Amino acid sequence: MAPLLELDKVSLAFGGLRALHELDIHVDEHEIVSVIGPNGAGKTTLFNVITGIYHPGGDIRFDGKSIVGRAPNRITQLGIARTFQSLRLFLNMTVKENVKAATYGSTHATPIESILRLPRARREEREVNARAEDVLGFFGQRLQGYRFDQPAYVLSYANRRRLEIARAMATGARMLLLDEPAAGMNPNETHEITELIGRLRDERGYTILVIEHDMHVVEGISDRVVALDHGEKLTEGTFHEVANHPGVIEAYLGRNPEVLQK
Amino acid sequence: MQILLQTIVNGLTAGSVYALIALGYTMVYGVLKLLNFAHGDLFMVGAFIGYFAIGWFGGPTALSIPVWVLIVFMFAVASFGVGALGVAIERFAYRPLRNAPRIAPLITALGVSFVLENSVLLLFGGLPRSYDSTAFIPFSLSIHIDSVSIGIIQILTLVLSVLLMVGLLFLVNRTILGKSMRAVASDREAAEMLGIDVNRTISMTFLIGSALAGSAGVMYGLGYANQVSNVIGFLAGLKAFTAAVVGGIGSIPGAMIGGLFIGLCESFSLSYVSSEYGDLMVFGILIAVMLIRPTGLFGQAPLQKV
Amino acid sequence: MSPIGVDEWVARSGERHDRGSGPLESLRRLGDRVGWWQRLAVLALVGFLFGHIGANGFQQTVAFNAVIYAILAVGLNIVVGWAGLLDLGYVAFYGIGAYGFALLSSSAFGNLMQQTGGVQLPAYASIPIVLVFAGLVGLAIGLVSLRLGGDYLAIVTLFFGIAFAEVVNNVDPAHLGGPDGITSLNPIQGLGGAIGSTIGYYYLALIVLIALMAGLHLLDASRTGRAWRAVRDDPLAAQVMTIPVNAVKVMAFSFGAIVAALAGAIFAAQQTNVFPTNFQSPVLILIYACLVLGGVGSIAGAVLGGVLVTVVQQMLASPTDAGYLFYGLIILALIIRVRPWRLLGAMLAAIVAFGFAARAIVGAISHSAIAGSTGSVGWIGSALRHYVIVPANPMSYGNVLYVLLICALVGIVRLKGIWRLIATVPTVYFGACCWEARLSVDPAITAQIMIGAILIVMMAVRPEGLLGARRVEII
Repeated sequence: MAPLLELDKVSLAFGGLRALHELDIHVDEHEIVSVIGPNGAGKTTLFNVITGIYHPGGDIRFDGKSIVGRAPNRITQLGIARTFQSLRLFLNMTVKENVKAATYGSTHATPIESILRLPRARREEREVNARAEDVLGFFGQRLQGYRFDQPAYVLSYANRRRLEIARAMATGARMLLLDEPAAGMNPNETHEITELIGRLRDERGYTILVIEHDMHVVEGISDRVVALDHGEKLTEGTFHEVANHPGVIEAYLGRNPEVLQK
Repeated sequence: MQILLQTIVNGLTAGSVYALIALGYTMVYGVLKLLNFAHGDLFMVGAFIGYFAIGWFGGPTALSIPVWVLIVFMFAVASFGVGALGVAIERFAYRPLRNAPRIAPLITALGVSFVLENSVLLLFGGLPRSYDSTAFIPFSLSIHIDSVSIGIIQILTLVLSVLLMVGLLFLVNRTILGKSMRAVASDREAAEMLGIDVNRTISMTFLIGSALAGSAGVMYGLGYANQVSNVIGFLAGLKAFTAAVVGGIGSIPGAMIGGLFIGLCESFSLSYVSSEYGDLMVFGILIAVMLIRPTGLFGQAPLQKV
Repeated sequence: MSPIGVDEWVARSGERHDRGSGPLESLRRLGDRVGWWQRLAVLALVGFLFGHIGANGFQQTVAFNAVIYAILAVGLNIVVGWAGLLDLGYVAFYGIGAYGFALLSSSAFGNLMQQTGGVQLPAYASIPIVLVFAGLVGLAIGLVSLRLGGDYLAIVTLFFGIAFAEVVNNVDPAHLGGPDGITSLNPIQGLGGAIGSTIGYYYLALIVLIALMAGLHLLDASRTGRAWRAVRDDPLAAQVMTIPVNAVKVMAFSFGAIVAALAGAIFAAQQTNVFPTNFQSPVLILIYACLVLGGVGSIAGAVLGGVLVTVVQQMLASPTDAGYLFYGLIILALIIRVRPWRLLGAMLAAIVAFGFAARAIVGAISHSAIAGSTGSVGWIGSALRHYVIVPANPMSYGNVLYVLLICALVGIVRLKGIWRLIATVPTVYFGACCWEARLSVDPAITAQIMIGAILIVMMAVRPEGLLGARRVEII
């Protein structure tokens, strides 16, 4: 079966800096793949390239169709949604509105229809509302009830991260790109996130590509791990294969593996 | 050919006045991200101070001190006076809005502009005042090259502007204060956490920027137009604002180049196109530049970390 | 694991703290308990009742202007408040609406095309044409601005606005009327015939405003409104969350343009003429003042701002009313800022005592120093005649006092605590003296100064506007 997402010799350079170099990565449907690598390896750039913020050389295919060169909002509508490493919520909108906003691409009511409350607009509003509540309900009680109408800026850090994921889910995507979902979380919350990612795949059937630094999370969720360094793919495989790969160790810890083995 | 040269000379002279005002705009924008619409009115106040300075020493026809002393005095008083005014305005009107949404300081700046223009109107009336600089500066003293005449005032203006700009570049790039300004412009919170006195840095920025505008006002009165009234601030401010944006708002070399550019555009459209649409032409050129380079000639697009 | 923060009261304490507890907040809480339909109906009722209370012609004009500015502010709110686009050329769309209507409702179009008679369409035909045209221009401007961000957008739109005013003013008068404008426009035909009176246009504008408020409220709650607000908060994130940012921005421009043009057409019909001066920078500043003072992002705020600014403007145009406003604002400022009540009372007493004492002392020294008369007429003037110091030749005295007053105000801001209170006493007294001696004598200039001062103070005190919400912004 063809992979859901396929990167084919993807390269991107900023001036003289090679951010990505001939990356060949694939993600099969319902897989959870983690991308690891030291800072500056090109992980977030990888996400930016997939979601269309940058236009790379090479080809990227989603569900068999090439998505290179398309506008970001079109790519998301095709089925890939992401979260941001430094949160990018719509802080002045309420929790529910943040999630509803992401359904824009799945709805079609024109402004006139909205003003006149024509049937299509009303129906879509109901559907949007239902989807928002469904998606927010995935996170238990934390984003429910009175939280719906709170502006996003009052949320705690962990709740903001959850809201970002909820918003990405609301786009109706099949594949989620999660950029450091456990960053800045305490061990309890990290554990929750790990479970959450698993549930996203098991209960909702998402295909997930995760950037993570916390190796506990990576170990806990990944079907496969891809290691990047300096914009190139070092290796990929199961967590144990990758963790013991000399190149990966060197990238994280520097040379001289003899010291490690002592 | 001689029209061309004369046009260029006039354009550069006017342009250097615009450049000085534009520098103040761009500096304040750099540290506060604020478009200070009242800046043009500071220029106007400087022009008035220069006018009164002439009067203090006997008036244009009966000066009690040598001309060059008067001119130095005029520049000094206008610079310090307008500089102090700028600092007071910042303290009183803009400081409470440090963390307010961006549109609030714009409205405040408009309010300050109203107050300045109309206060001058209230205190001194609306009749334009004339520097009468021909009475005490020998205009006939000019350089003739190929029958293109460059008056002594124009030379003075150009030289002084260049000196001020060079001085400013030195200040911004080589001194501690300049480094503080650049730090605050880049990231105010981080600068504060590193021990930079942000309030003082911003006050100094306003002081210098306003002082430059004040000097520009004196230059304007002396050589460029001779008549000062309370409304000159608006149009001059608008053109300087254009200059700052064309050059790339926030960029000091950009403001200088932009000012000269706008001065030349204005001069050329006055010479070769009708004078009615001169202003319109300048705006048209602005739009064209913005479309080609949306962040201005030297401007940097604000960096986004995605 | 027990989730933290389930207790709603605790979780919402931050919001409560942010909102404050002043009278405005109580009003808002009251309003929130009622649905928005009901609030709108109350507003409509008040508006219609006002038309029936037999106000004189002048008051009717003021009311009409207030509604026009409310419409303009509501339209600007779409562009600035919802989509976050700083459109400084907005007044040009107002002008396009007015001039468009003028061209199609008089013989002017004929002059433009060098024919006689011109095109004289009935309003129900000409207004839609004008609106469509304005929408297209808004679209064009929007498209041009897509390449520009934030402050650069402000500049380009600013120049578009100025260019419009200049073109209309400078182009050959035979075409667009030049500085003398276009006159003798045909009125709008209402249900019972031509609308000939101001009050008729007032009702028309009111109906338009109410319909607009309702429509925009519904739009705000819909996907379009959410898209606009998302684009304002974070365009990049919006783009990645399926929102076509460029299309949304252009749509905001167009909508704003159409609303402004509608206001322009009604305004032109009521005035039966259009002049370039109606659409220049001062008007733009006024519209922005309406929106910002009322509260950016809030429809009700825009309307409130429109009404307030119009009323204040009118008050400032008449010297006696300006005096009421001046003294009223001072007293209001004292009431709001000086607490508790006993301190306020003591302060007012001190101001009165200081004043009489100062006058007595100065009068004892020099008789001519208090020989002048107060600028204010009516009961204020007679009440203050024996209170303020006004010399026989008040002009330079007034000027000096004015400068000292500005310095004093700046100084007061820097003082703290008891010193600030003490310094306020002479400042208020000499402020009154300055008003009587100088400011009330030149009401036109004073009005402008007061507008500027009100803008400065309002922004310093409440930058989000009266009905606006505090925002969190990432720069």
